Amino acid sequence: MKDETLREVEQFLYKEARLLDSRRFSEWLELFSDDLRYWMPTRSNRYPVNSKAISILDASRYEEEEVSDEDELALMEETKDTLERRVARLDTGMAWAEDPPSRTRHIITNIEVDAAGSADQLRVYSNFVMYRNRSETDQDFYVGSREDVLRREGGQLRISSRKIVLDQNVLLAKNLSNFF
Amino acid sequence: MVLDVNSLVDADAGLISRRIFIEDDIYQEELERIFARCWLFLCHESQIPNPGDFLTTYMGEDSVLVIRDTSGKIGAFLNVCAHRGNRLCRADNGNASAFTCAYHGWTYGNNGDLQGVPNLKDAYYDDLDRTKWGLISVAQLDTYKGLVFATFDNNAPSLTDYLGEMAWYLDCFFDRREGGVEVVGGVHKWIIPCNWKLPAENFGGDAYHVAWNHLSALTSGFTQAPAARQTLGGGTISPGNGHCILAVGADDYAAAPVEIIQEYEESIRAETVERLGRRLLKMTPNVGTLFPHMSFLRGSSRSFRVWHPKGPDKIEVISCQFVDKAAPPEVKEALRVTGLRAFGPSGVLEQDDMDNWEECTRINRGAVTRRYALNYQMGLGHDSFDDGLGGWSSDFRISDSNPRHFYRRWASLMQADTWDQV
Repeated sequence: MKDETLREVEQFLYKEARLLDSRRFSEWLELFSDDLRYWMPTRSNRYPVNSKAISILDASRYEEEEVSDEDELALMEETKDTLERRVARLDTGMAWAEDPPSRTRHIITNIEVDAAGSADQLRVYSNFVMYRNRSETDQDFYVGSREDVLRREGGQLRISSRKIVLDQNVLLAKNLSNFF
Repeated sequence: MVLDVNSLVDADAGLISRRIFIEDDIYQEELERIFARCWLFLCHESQIPNPGDFLTTYMGEDSVLVIRDTSGKIGAFLNVCAHRGNRLCRADNGNASAFTCAYHGWTYGNNGDLQGVPNLKDAYYDDLDRTKWGLISVAQLDTYKGLVFATFDNNAPSLTDYLGEMAWYLDCFFDRREGGVEVVGGVHKWIIPCNWKLPAENFGGDAYHVAWNHLSALTSGFTQAPAARQTLGGGTISPGNGHCILAVGADDYAAAPVEIIQEYEESIRAETVERLGRRLLKMTPNVGTLFPHMSFLRGSSRSFRVWHPKGPDKIEVISCQFVDKAAPPEVKEALRVTGLRAFGPSGVLEQDDMDNWEECTRINRGAVTRRYALNYQMGLGHDSFDDGLGGWSSDFRISDSNPRHFYRRWASLMQADTWDQV
């Protein structure tokens, strides 16, 4: 991957983080393509097949994968349209989970850029720490990884797919009212 | 401790003490008198369909392992090794013929029997009665329409008696079509710093908060605004034993504003009335709480959840989605995505609830605040027993009638030493 592309992607993700943390959500939405798939699966605790903690009865059915499947419940599963409606909801003055608003800080690291099939697409891996403070003492740390597909549309990079894997089983926050 | 329960709940006057939402002494009594005695929901059978399938959950604060054993029978046990009390199974779910404790290696079969003890011959001199040291079972376990319940109390009434008239209302959610429901894969689990009774009474009786608390979700197209509904019928129903149901009007499907879902509801309307009976022509049950802390809804999401208590000011929610087994795949898929966008940690309806329940709990730490009773007086004297509905019903669709019945039951259990006194 060319240095120039790496730098461009890094700056793109940092700008995205800045837009989120300054609550410029309408501008943030412009970074996504219209066919967006924005997905945050759940994580379960499973014994690996070689665990000595259990003797598996039916090995043919045993699943050790701990990230939920695409046809299962997810923490978030959004399209461009539903993200737009989530942002519109914040503007109603009655989105109580964000009223008063959260103070967020997205720290984006470990950025890797790969080719993604076609010349105008990139697969981008990154890690995040998202700190949320709200009201008097609310405090949450969301830590995880993202896998994005970035596509060049009319000279602009746009995110067409984002998979967010949060490193928690029981979500320790009372809600997910922010974006990742 | 002897609690003066009458000073905490005056259902006739519609006054509830804030102390029951924050004080640890009261909470400890709840663990004994409510959670260690009542029938509590464990899971749906479709979550453990095959021999060896298991999942872990809670009954009160007790960690519980629910297993379908090799013969196909469902059992539920304290998820605790009998030896040193270590938590036995640390997985959310899976499939096993046996479980081995990570501390000293005691092994239990999926029917709870103690099968293996390391050093049984040399260290125990073969002098350990393994039949006495199996997993500790619940006292009673029974199922209703695929819903698995258990109680730790041998003297608790049968599940049939405990559900009473609520059974028909459960049918309106879990048995509307042949085959009942199936559970969508995966669960939502999250922590809310609130007292368990706040979400229980909310799902059981709070039609009042919808048009204000959830207005932002209503106006941004995630669910149906009341003004868009065909009628403003429905009401609150208390079918007995503290169980609570909210209903919308009979000609309202109580479904998300998604074409394929609305069309599906339209298409099965006659079939569900035929199956469930003409009571369904009076109203459409769409939310409810099965006493004490299992709630369910069939609206913008189809979800059942348990508000597991974790102290007076904390709960862990375990929430699943369900769909009619007989529904077409594209309807099931539409219900899945629509549902998780509305209810769950990121749900555009539910996220606002959680914030309010937290503040309703934490504020009661104030000693002076705690002296002032909460107001549950809406519609006092404007509810009556409706023979057609088989329960107490409010004259108007918005009322505190259900929470008054919920807390009356709570107070009764908190005072009663035996089930005869409840």
